Amino acid sequence: MDRTGKDHIISLEKLSIGYQPAFALLEEINLTVGPGEMVALIGRNGTGKSTLLKSMIGLIPSLGGLCRLEGRSITQFDLPARARLVSFVSSQIAQLPSLTVREVVALGRLPYTGWMGRMDRTDLALVDQALEEVQLLSFADRKLDRLSDGERQRAMIARAFVQDTRLMVLDEPTAFLDIPNTFDLIRLLSRFRDGGKSIVYSTHDLETAMQCADKMWVIHEGKILEGAPEDLGLSGLFDEVFRSSGINYDEHSGKFLFKGICLGSVRLEGKKDRAFSWTVNALERLGYSLDSQGEIQLSIKPSDAAYQWTLEKNGSSKSFTSLYKLARFLTQGK
Amino acid sequence: MRIGSRSVAIMYSMGLLLIVLFLIDLRLGSIRISLGEIVGHLWGGEKLSDQQVVILTKFRLPRLATALLAGAALPVCGLQMQTLFRNPLAGPYVLGISSGASFGAALVVLGAGAAGIVATWSLAIAAWIGAGTVMLLLLFVSYRIKEVMTILILGIMFSSGLAAVISIMQYFSEASALKSFVIWSMGSLGNVTGSQLSIMTWAITPVLLVTLGYSKVLNGLMLGEEYAASMGIRIERTRIIIFATTSILAGTITAFCGPIGFIGIAVPHMVRFLFRRSDHRILMPATMLTGMVVMVLSDIVSQLPGTERILPINAVTSLIGIPVVIWLVIMNRKAQSL
Repeated sequence: MDRTGKDHIISLEKLSIGYQPAFALLEEINLTVGPGEMVALIGRNGTGKSTLLKSMIGLIPSLGGLCRLEGRSITQFDLPARARLVSFVSSQIAQLPSLTVREVVALGRLPYTGWMGRMDRTDLALVDQALEEVQLLSFADRKLDRLSDGERQRAMIARAFVQDTRLMVLDEPTAFLDIPNTFDLIRLLSRFRDGGKSIVYSTHDLETAMQCADKMWVIHEGKILEGAPEDLGLSGLFDEVFRSSGINYDEHSGKFLFKGICLGSVRLEGKKDRAFSWTVNALERLGYSLDSQGEIQLSIKPSDAAYQWTLEKNGSSKSFTSLYKLARFLTQGK
Repeated sequence: MRIGSRSVAIMYSMGLLLIVLFLIDLRLGSIRISLGEIVGHLWGGEKLSDQQVVILTKFRLPRLATALLAGAALPVCGLQMQTLFRNPLAGPYVLGISSGASFGAALVVLGAGAAGIVATWSLAIAAWIGAGTVMLLLLFVSYRIKEVMTILILGIMFSSGLAAVISIMQYFSEASALKSFVIWSMGSLGNVTGSQLSIMTWAITPVLLVTLGYSKVLNGLMLGEEYAASMGIRIERTRIIIFATTSILAGTITAFCGPIGFIGIAVPHMVRFLFRRSDHRILMPATMLTGMVVMVLSDIVSQLPGTERILPINAVTSLIGIPVVIWLVIMNRKAQSL
């Protein structure tokens, strides 16, 4: 690796961040972002995710160490020059009632236009392209306050896109979004990544991040760990990160289990069809594990209505016509 | 971010309206001078009497020029403050500029009250110094405090504090001095003459040009300071320039004319409503033009056409501004926002 970090878009060297020198949030941070890489920053609330992202791109001063942008210290950049290399999307949803989507997106050209902000044909074409990219072209003349959270977030991302930077940094872009919108947004970011941009974003959503990030930064107990999602999984980090919070992380499936304790083991019988997998979900939710030697036996059979579940335990048996009834029985039995 | 034909059309109509109001205002007064007579005088026809010339050049034209300067300057301050603080209720005086000016004026009028009549000059200079002191304090504070909302709160607290001190001074002052001060605080466009007017023009015109050149930066600020910084705007420098221009504009106007209420807050909202745009490259010149229209209109109203009385301009601008803002807020709730 080149020592000056020119191979990286961003390289952090012994960076320490926080708002007061006596109370550094994180110290001795050494991290890198390569070209065309998507990095997900994971950490619990208050661990310094936003502070790290903002310090990294020079929006707030760091407490020590060095942050290099394309090999040069971030503090040496003239602001417009920096704005042509890094764009930022904040976690706050901007409330700007009287700006149209197109006007907001066009603001991304600020670092390129002259003192009167005149946009030429290429600027305008780029704005249209960005609107199309985030599927807001038909909403271009709508005011920002007439959009849903997801659409507004996409408008802010389109604005970052027309800033035409090698690196895009997003602070919790999916925080206010429902699941379909979250996936849309991540897919959009992945497309930007495939187009050669580097993306760094912070999130609580470990599952989605594991499926799309090239690299993860995980903040845990005052330290920050870096690696491919699978590397971090292999090291047992996630199990450690989430154990303290009462959430069990199933290393085999990569899923979270919200019930901390195991209530029993179930031997599940039946065809491996949709009913089977939904039954597995229900049992996991209730805190039962699957085991071929399980103390409870559960079988699934198709019935007139839909399905019938038959449960046998200690010689007695009982049938249920819905998973809800089964679940009620299991939870009352404990 | 194109200018758009709607904006151009409204801009032309405003310009036309301004000319019409200007000419109407020029005719008003106890001595009747018709437009025909003025045109005739200028084109070498029948001359006006010396008295009429004096009235025009020493009184009416300076008063109109003052109205134009105040009308352009105060709403621009309001627009800048509303955008910087992202607060629709911000106006030229939120930073305590007018309190500073009033304090300066109060020191002179109430302090020297016993000595007799105070010259307009010393009053204006004292008010200017007062506004300038507040500005320097503000720049110092804004250099030390990063959070812009804290500055807003400090400004409001500071002006309330000064108002309290002024009321104590009023309480202990003589009746005649008190009356001069109260009259100053009611505002007047008619006290600015000759060299004062040229000082005012030289102080205000270049600063207005600077604010025009800052339109692009104000657009960037609409997303908040963090976004602005991420888009290459130098926040500290911008803030200092906005505070300095606002202080010079509002301070100068207040020093020479006394505090003039409400047009600073109301005009930017009228402009947003009329132009339906948020682009400061349109808002800024439109605010100047609309401000001049409203100010000349206020001057016409203040002269109570048909009578010899002149109302205090501060009261007139408020009485015109308040219903407009109420109407905008009720008709179009978005006028509350930026």
